Amino acid sequence: MAKMGAGHYRQASVQVVNTEMAPGYYGLPVIHGPHWRWSIVFYFVLGGLAGGSAVLAAVAQLVGGYWARPIVRAGRYLAVLAVLPGPLLLIIDLGRPERFHHMLRVLKLRSPMSLGVWGLIGFTATALLNALQQVAEDGLLGRRNPVAHALRCLPTRLLAATSALPAFFLAGYTGVLLGATAVPLWARNALRLGPLFLCSALSSAAAALSLLIGHRPTARRAQHALERVEQVAVLGELILLETLRRSDTVVTRPLREGREGLAYTGARVGSALALVLHSIAKLLPRSPHVWLRMLGSLAALVSAFLLRAAMIFGGRRSAEDPVATIAITRKDTGSPSTAP
Amino acid sequence: MVRNTSALVGTTQARPGAFGFLTDTTLCIGCKACEVACKQWNQLPMDDFGFTGRSYDNTGDLGATTWRHVAFIERVADREGRRPTRLQPFQSNWLMFSDVCKHCVNAGCLEACPTGAIIRTEFDTVVIQQDICNGCGYCVPACPFGVPALSPLDGKAHKCTLCYDRLKDGLEPACSKACPTDAIQFGPVHALLDRAKVRVAELRDQGVDAQLYGDLALGGTGGIGGLNALFILTAPPEVYNLPAQPELPQRRVLPAFLTTALAALALGLATLLTFWRTEKEGAHG
Repeated sequence: MAKMGAGHYRQASVQVVNTEMAPGYYGLPVIHGPHWRWSIVFYFVLGGLAGGSAVLAAVAQLVGGYWARPIVRAGRYLAVLAVLPGPLLLIIDLGRPERFHHMLRVLKLRSPMSLGVWGLIGFTATALLNALQQVAEDGLLGRRNPVAHALRCLPTRLLAATSALPAFFLAGYTGVLLGATAVPLWARNALRLGPLFLCSALSSAAAALSLLIGHRPTARRAQHALERVEQVAVLGELILLETLRRSDTVVTRPLREGREGLAYTGARVGSALALVLHSIAKLLPRSPHVWLRMLGSLAALVSAFLLRAAMIFGGRRSAEDPVATIAITRKDTGSPSTAP
Repeated sequence: MVRNTSALVGTTQARPGAFGFLTDTTLCIGCKACEVACKQWNQLPMDDFGFTGRSYDNTGDLGATTWRHVAFIERVADREGRRPTRLQPFQSNWLMFSDVCKHCVNAGCLEACPTGAIIRTEFDTVVIQQDICNGCGYCVPACPFGVPALSPLDGKAHKCTLCYDRLKDGLEPACSKACPTDAIQFGPVHALLDRAKVRVAELRDQGVDAQLYGDLALGGTGGIGGLNALFILTAPPEVYNLPAQPELPQRRVLPAFLTTALAALALGLATLLTFWRTEKEGAHG
């Protein structure tokens, strides 16, 4: 059986011929990269969508009037629907899926993954409670059902307020989780990844909700509010995407090359497109421009997906790059003398 | 920064009772007895049977089934690009380096582990409990040295245990026991550190540019607090594929959560204001 790192040197031995000038040891990776693949990408996207939806539903519940009811309703349902596949996606990624409950043995404050497990549980509980109350309010449990009556009696605003904190946590902790590794791309951008994922979570949730409720003529004001939120979040996302790309040329190389680079460019274009399309739709007078708005929201959703894919697969590429690792682990001198 | 680190040379935060390795690369003859002894004692399956076609190193890297790895670095040219015309004392023009888990004083893998499978033992070594590990793989990128790895055989993370079972029975680890030149030495970390300092001074007197890797100035930097597996190197750490000044990844957890919380506050406020404005507009028109 091949061991995990066996693939590394085959690639590297082709590239590195001149060992005298190559940094490190025959161009081999200094660190081991993560094994995370598509299930984690989907979890990151869905977690962001769930967290963002819960935030929007909570805020709509707290300050919105009757016009905001569609946001509350769709947001509560979307939050729980998006988060439910999460644990499954995480469990199938484990090397020993049957041992998933070992995550519940401990709570470690310095391990974002441990915090994340408990945060996911906390979020799922609050989102489920909110969604159940919505189910009761929608009359899906029947009128005379005592359970439905009890759910309707729960303090709605308090429920909304308690769901906001775990929702923000779920949307942002994944960035912190990536930042707390030795992977150069993530380590160097540890402070940016959380905010970036948060912005992307909120923009994708606003986009998804406006796609869900936008077709209704009664939800015009709600959709208006969602679009404004989406624009703010997408603007923040775009600024962070650009500063991240320009921050460090050695470390961010995977975001400029290959498929990961293409995905990252796609994320940037998607965000920019969302911003531009919504602005145009707003500037053009009178007609509602449904197609422009829908296209903008779709672009924001695609951008959220591409961003997570570029970041996770880009991190894998980054870990294989000894030049980047050496660059971020040399602190007292400018350039390391690499030739022995 | 340079002045600060010079005061940290030869110091560690390892506790007095800690055990570890001292791997003196100037004594290594590249026999790979440590690799073999480790495989035998720990009953590790063989690696991919192939040739790298590069040096005498066909192992390549530390991995799930390779807990000692001897690197062979050929010094084809010096720093100015000249080819060497005479043999240098110790290891001629080859550097042989037996790599192993560093058993960090503050270990990234241990702090990352969400199941508590990775523990600090009574010998102050870092061990992955195989009956707990569920193969989440977070320890793998959390290690600044690239030590733990997931095994495709059982789906769990593996690395050097510093022969925990042997230590329990009062035996030294298999690799240091097998080393024919005592290039790998086992003992209390502080005793090894003193020995290493004497050895580095001795080598410097003989004109060898030796340095200690694993103290607070080199290798054990950035919150790692020193390494329980020390190394004596005769070239910059990068030549051995070791990071010069690595950082404990978990140092970034609190600052990263703070910026995320700040962003959450800003986005939450923006959302609140937007909805509030929409509410107001409705009231007027």
